[in-house]
Amino acid sequence: MASSVTEPRPSDSSPAAGAAAEPGETTPPGKRRKGLSEKNRPLWLLIPGGLLMTIVILVPLAMGIWMSLIDLDQYTLRQWVSAEFIGIQNYIEAALSSELLRSIWLSVSFAVISTVVTIPLGVAAAVVTQNAYRGRAVVRSIFLIPYVLPSFVVASVWRTMLQPDGIVNVTLTNMGMDGGLWLNGPNAYWTLVWVEIWAAWPFIYLLALSGLQAVDHEVHEASALDGALWWNKLRYVIFPYLKGPVSLAFLLATLNHINNFTLPYVLFGAPAPSDVNVLPILVYVTSFQSFRFGLSAAMAVVSLILIAIPLFIYLRAVRLDVHEGGKK
Amino acid sequence: MTIDAANPIEQQKKQPIRRDAALEVTRLMPRPLLATLTVLLCALVLIPIVYIFLASLNTDVGVASGEFWPSSFSLDSYTKIWDSVGLAKAIGNSLIVSGATAVVSAIMAIGTAYVLVRFEFRGRLTVLRGLLGLQSVPGTLMLLPVFVLFSSAGTYLGVTVIGTLWGLFIAYLTFALPFSTWVMVTYLRGLPRELEEAARIDGASNLGILFRIIIPLSWPGIIVSAIFAFLLGWNDVLFASVFTRPDTHTAAVALQVFASAVEGGAIPVYSQLMAASLVCAVPVVVLYFMFQKYLVGGLTAGSVK
Repeated sequence: MASSVTEPRPSDSSPAAGAAAEPGETTPPGKRRKGLSEKNRPLWLLIPGGLLMTIVILVPLAMGIWMSLIDLDQYTLRQWVSAEFIGIQNYIEAALSSELLRSIWLSVSFAVISTVVTIPLGVAAAVVTQNAYRGRAVVRSIFLIPYVLPSFVVASVWRTMLQPDGIVNVTLTNMGMDGGLWLNGPNAYWTLVWVEIWAAWPFIYLLALSGLQAVDHEVHEASALDGALWWNKLRYVIFPYLKGPVSLAFLLATLNHINNFTLPYVLFGAPAPSDVNVLPILVYVTSFQSFRFGLSAAMAVVSLILIAIPLFIYLRAVRLDVHEGGKK
Repeated sequence: MTIDAANPIEQQKKQPIRRDAALEVTRLMPRPLLATLTVLLCALVLIPIVYIFLASLNTDVGVASGEFWPSSFSLDSYTKIWDSVGLAKAIGNSLIVSGATAVVSAIMAIGTAYVLVRFEFRGRLTVLRGLLGLQSVPGTLMLLPVFVLFSSAGTYLGVTVIGTLWGLFIAYLTFALPFSTWVMVTYLRGLPRELEEAARIDGASNLGILFRIIIPLSWPGIIVSAIFAFLLGWNDVLFASVFTRPDTHTAAVALQVFASAVEGGAIPVYSQLMAASLVCAVPVVVLYFMFQKYLVGGLTAGSVK
């Protein structure tokens, strides 16, 4: 690595090569950086990536919005260009005579409950692995496992465990409790919440860990000198450091929960029981089982608008840039 | 506050310089509580994991009747899974599509990220914000128009896209490209400018700097962005369930076939399902732990799943 960096130097450092490549050599040193970044910008490097992204992202995104305004079903799909423009009728139908509002409520409540429960779990995990001890690396790896496992694997495993006569119910019966149905009926909602929590808490853990690492050693020393009790130290000294990362984690985790298709799909199948008919499943079933593509696109646009609120807050809060002058 | 992917400077900071002496000072909880919490959290994770192993060695009847410890062990499931739903073929398909997605997104990401990090231009912050924002766009919203576009490619151009691995590859790029680019951006931000400036004074062109300095120095970032793009494909169920036929099924979809497959009519093939789950999960877990140092930063750089 180092050799490939230094290799070209002998030939390139001759004055002629330098002058040829940099005509603006006479600019005063102070202006140099600005001149460089404004004159000699290889903006054409953006073209391949930008072009590809336009084709695979912006075009479908624009088309998705267009689709929500036309009457598109399995009969008109092949000739979608000539499908009838019906304005906001899809939206009206979605709001008035579909499961949309109920799904929004299910999705939002599911996402918020999951996030609220994962935060104490994640923060606790970060706190207990803060100090080095023998075996900590193993514990940290174990903590990452649920997050690392593919969602479809997590869902398959839990679905097997939560079968009516599966391991969970057998264990509950042995403990003198009544298990009941987990994959259908009203309990299904809590199954979804539980599995999502199981899979997602390490995300909070990772962000909380990065927050803990920002605590200076001096802060620990100072609170030790003051003789602060551990709980007070956590509450008043350490937790304020975590406020930033954990708020970001809250937003991002909630967005991820709302968008999670794999977990409900693999756990319950599609069409899902009505108690877990979350937004992604509803959109999926409306288009690929009822073949109401226009209606489904309208629902998808509504879910985009729904996530746009936390997304907007997140994009404002996150640092996009490294400028010496601070945030730009 | 900030979220940096595999930032090399962050990584150095993590190395504790003052060790034992600092331990007592930085400990945040009494030792018994610490130990209790650690054990509880580990149990929460490990019980289902151990269960997968045991269930994959159990019989279908054993799993269905809720045994934790199998009454008889056998490795049968591991030999059966390859034929019963064509898992081998499906894993091959997954490898091809996810691998292609990884290579293309990582290559595309380097140039784009370099310009975004090192040069000023109008609309730059919008692009950065867009890259980050796109990761939270619902997959279902992208799936619909891509599906319609693909099916009209059949109608108007006579090209069959749905059911082929090409279609899946293009669909994965919609998420992998912005994500890889964002991972590269966060990595390149952590690289010191000094080497580039020195090379520039020596007369290197922008392209020379990119190929001789940026790329050799960013291998970890490139690998991370490729791995994440790979995992996007490997973990996906949504696109694969719509865009594949039985012969182009990916591993994630093949696993769903197990769930509905019943042998002899009574009980789903649970133990094969668990064995196949493990087979699908192990490469991912190994990949993570091999590159853990770099990947952990990237995990927090955006939504991976």
